[in-house]
Amino acid sequence: MSCEPLRSQPVGAALVVGGGIGGMQAALDLAAGGIKVHLVEGRPAIGGVMSQLDKTFPTNDCAMCTMAPRLVEIGRHRDIEILSLSEVQSIQGGPGDFRVTVRKRPRFVNESKCTGCGTCVANCPVHNVVQPLEPPRIELEPAYREQVAGILARHRHRTGPLMPILQEVDAALHYFPEGVLRYLAQETGYPLAHIYRIATFYSAFSVVPRGKYVINVCMGTTCYVRGSQRLMDKLSESLGIKPEETTPDMKFTLKSVRCIGCCGLAPALTVGGEVYGKLTRKDVPDILHKCKEAA
Amino acid sequence: MPLKLEELRRTREQAREEARLRSGKVKDLMVCCGTGCVAGGGFRIKQALEKEIERRGLKDQARVVGTGCNGFCGQGPLLVVMPEGNFYGWLKPEDAPTLVEEHLVHGRPVEKLMYVSPESKKPVPLLADIPFFQKQMPVVLRNKGLIDPERIEDYLARDGYQALEKVLASLTPDQVIEEITRSGLRGRGGAGFPTGIKWRVCRQEKRTPKYLVGNCDEGDPGAYMDRSLLESDPHSLVEGMIIAAYAIGVARGFVYIRTEYPLAIERLRKAIASARQHQLLGERILDSDFAFDLEIREGSGAFVCGEETSLIHSIEGESPEPRQRPPFPAQVGLWGCPTVINNVETLANVPMIVARGADWYSTIGTPSSKGTKIFSLVGKINNTGLIEVPMGITLREIIYDIGGGIPGNKAFKAVQTGGPSGGCIPGSLIDLPIDYENLQKAGSMMGSGGMIVMDEDTCMVDVSKFFIQFTNDESCGKCTSCRDGSEALLEVLTRISEGKGRQGDVEFLQELGPAVKDASMCGLGQTLPNPVLSTLRYFQEEYVAHVADKECPAKVCKELIKYYIDPDKCPGCMLCLKNCPSGAVKGESKHVHVIDQAVCTKCGECLEICPPKVAAIRKVTGKEARELRSLEAPIPVKEWRARRAQETRAREGR
Repeated sequence: MSCEPLRSQPVGAALVVGGGIGGMQAALDLAAGGIKVHLVEGRPAIGGVMSQLDKTFPTNDCAMCTMAPRLVEIGRHRDIEILSLSEVQSIQGGPGDFRVTVRKRPRFVNESKCTGCGTCVANCPVHNVVQPLEPPRIELEPAYREQVAGILARHRHRTGPLMPILQEVDAALHYFPEGVLRYLAQETGYPLAHIYRIATFYSAFSVVPRGKYVINVCMGTTCYVRGSQRLMDKLSESLGIKPEETTPDMKFTLKSVRCIGCCGLAPALTVGGEVYGKLTRKDVPDILHKCKEAA
Repeated sequence: MPLKLEELRRTREQAREEARLRSGKVKDLMVCCGTGCVAGGGFRIKQALEKEIERRGLKDQARVVGTGCNGFCGQGPLLVVMPEGNFYGWLKPEDAPTLVEEHLVHGRPVEKLMYVSPESKKPVPLLADIPFFQKQMPVVLRNKGLIDPERIEDYLARDGYQALEKVLASLTPDQVIEEITRSGLRGRGGAGFPTGIKWRVCRQEKRTPKYLVGNCDEGDPGAYMDRSLLESDPHSLVEGMIIAAYAIGVARGFVYIRTEYPLAIERLRKAIASARQHQLLGERILDSDFAFDLEIREGSGAFVCGEETSLIHSIEGESPEPRQRPPFPAQVGLWGCPTVINNVETLANVPMIVARGADWYSTIGTPSSKGTKIFSLVGKINNTGLIEVPMGITLREIIYDIGGGIPGNKAFKAVQTGGPSGGCIPGSLIDLPIDYENLQKAGSMMGSGGMIVMDEDTCMVDVSKFFIQFTNDESCGKCTSCRDGSEALLEVLTRISEGKGRQGDVEFLQELGPAVKDASMCGLGQTLPNPVLSTLRYFQEEYVAHVADKECPAKVCKELIKYYIDPDKCPGCMLCLKNCPSGAVKGESKHVHVIDQAVCTKCGECLEICPPKVAAIRKVTGKEARELRSLEAPIPVKEWRARRAQETRAREGR
């Protein structure tokens, strides 16, 4: 943009486009500097995306706690004028003296008189209810169809069906493919986000494919005191993967697990339900060999 | 005519009659088939014995029974020959022919398979004479190793379901609650809330339906009594739950059990099925108007699910995070209904209290803590296993009389109780009588009863770090104080253990710990600083050594130790060189070896492999590690010895 030279006497006002968290903070900073601010926002209210968030990265701070004080302050600030439902049409002039045309769409409510009591909303005879599009039906991949459908049929009518269903699906497929989770959400009526949350909360579940043999190294206190970390290091070294990873040939997954209750056998590990106890690093090749033979 | 009751009594009489007929004629080989012994080959030993008995045609004289956990896991796989009670440990399937030949055919107990007393080095033939069993008092585990957990008849023969009969025939629900209250039974899951009061609160709730949950989400690392209980005597839980359900007025119960316990799940499933067959579960239990049924729900590996509100959410299929209490589950629980959640061990106490009376039960234990408690005695201890002892027993009795002391005659340093929520009790408190209050006063807690014994080779900073790692990992993240507090604790502990501790770190831990306790909502957060605070209380000098002197007194923390080859002792045998996984050992045959500290990963393989009579390798820490100078490069052993001799001569000459 070509700029005209700065006039000796700048206008004492600024325009901020966008009323998200960034725009709000800019408006407040400008106003604190004694400058009159016009805050233009396209939506009916300021707040932007942050108002829809629970927590923010990376500090995990509560989003509403961050923005609510700013919202209130902007609302109260005498030098900030909120232009909601508005769009910038054109900008003319140069730094220090812009001329901006803003188009404001009608609100059909007198903003200077409305107290936000909400009575009109409750009494409006016409309710505009959003009608979302019918989501496309999800079909299962043929590889899983029969198993998953059978599991669903067995448990869907129980009270609290989700856990038994997820447990059996996990036992059958060894992990949750995305399509299966979406399908379960559709069939059980639980939101996908909820199912995903459960599927990632428990350490026995996985949303990434796991190997044929899952080696669970017990990291309970007893096993730890008796050297299970060194056992884990050895396994990690022999398999060439870190804990919680899977070998590229999809044979082995290495996992640490909380106490398996075999403290008398510490240090211990399990592979596919088989418990191996009183181990030293020398036993590692044998165990791996046994699994490879079985496969 | 009450049909089912009659049938049950008949079955019991038959089972007893059978046992009577057998006694004296038939020997029962009780092979332990708990998880521990199964991992060591319990099932294979059972098969081998069966085959051998079959082959020799001794089927009329001997019977092989697979029992649940015997308790003496350190000796497993093991076998007890009843009725005499001969104990054999560390068995292999190959031992079966000898055992059958010697013991069954010739009546000569096999000496080489017996338990050997570590003090007298003499074999001890009978179970009753083994010190591990002598100070125990089996109440909850009264049937361990004596019955086949998969046969309801065995349980019936040992007075099983008689308590239930008594309850249904002669006691009102309020009388049952009164009896439990009077017995002084307290929750065995950790906090020790009086069971009778919990039941009463729930009974008084007007809303129905109500639910009963047996909590077997035994998440504390190092504790496995609930698993063992279900593996050795699942019917005692079923009976306890039926009685509890009757007392509270519940028609539907759940057992929430960890998925890590497949054998326990299977045995409980079988027990529930056979109880249904005998109309002990379902409609019209033993012809009364009382109905109750039981369902198993599995966990999926989340420590926080042992917390009752979190457990409720997990069964419901909601996200398993705890919620604020009150309202307590006894008022608002599963699906918003009044729910009693009891630990499995608590429930298994119930049949005995009902059968033998509250007066009998309350004679066991201390004034505030009644009855017995099952502990898993594990870690650096000679006799690893599961023990049931009366409350009020001292740590010394547990560790030295029952546990047989510390291996290698090392010094007893501390015992960790209560899992990640508990703390470390130092050796100086070894005469502490164990009950809820005393443990709390010592900065620990009962927890579910894990006792992890630690010797002088255990570093307390490392142990705290381990527990905080655990809780940090398992924190559900709902409360900031728990989520971020454990993170901060871990950061500082890691720093200390890596020798990067700063002035003020110890004070910071002391300040942050109580803050996390105060500000967290559920038991996990409220107790997670305990391991740090209790070790700080008793072993502060160890923390100070890590921070100020960069020294790990127990020689555990990798960053603070070095492996060092003593040139005077190294004969250049190359054993350590060949076994070093990282190639840090330099040398050749008949050369004094040197460890390249820059490459060494401190795995300790060299120390393990160095023959004891050579013992050239040792761990050093702190000042010693900084000042010890090893050789620059390997030199021939002869050359080194000559140089040393010269030095000595020079010194003497001067």
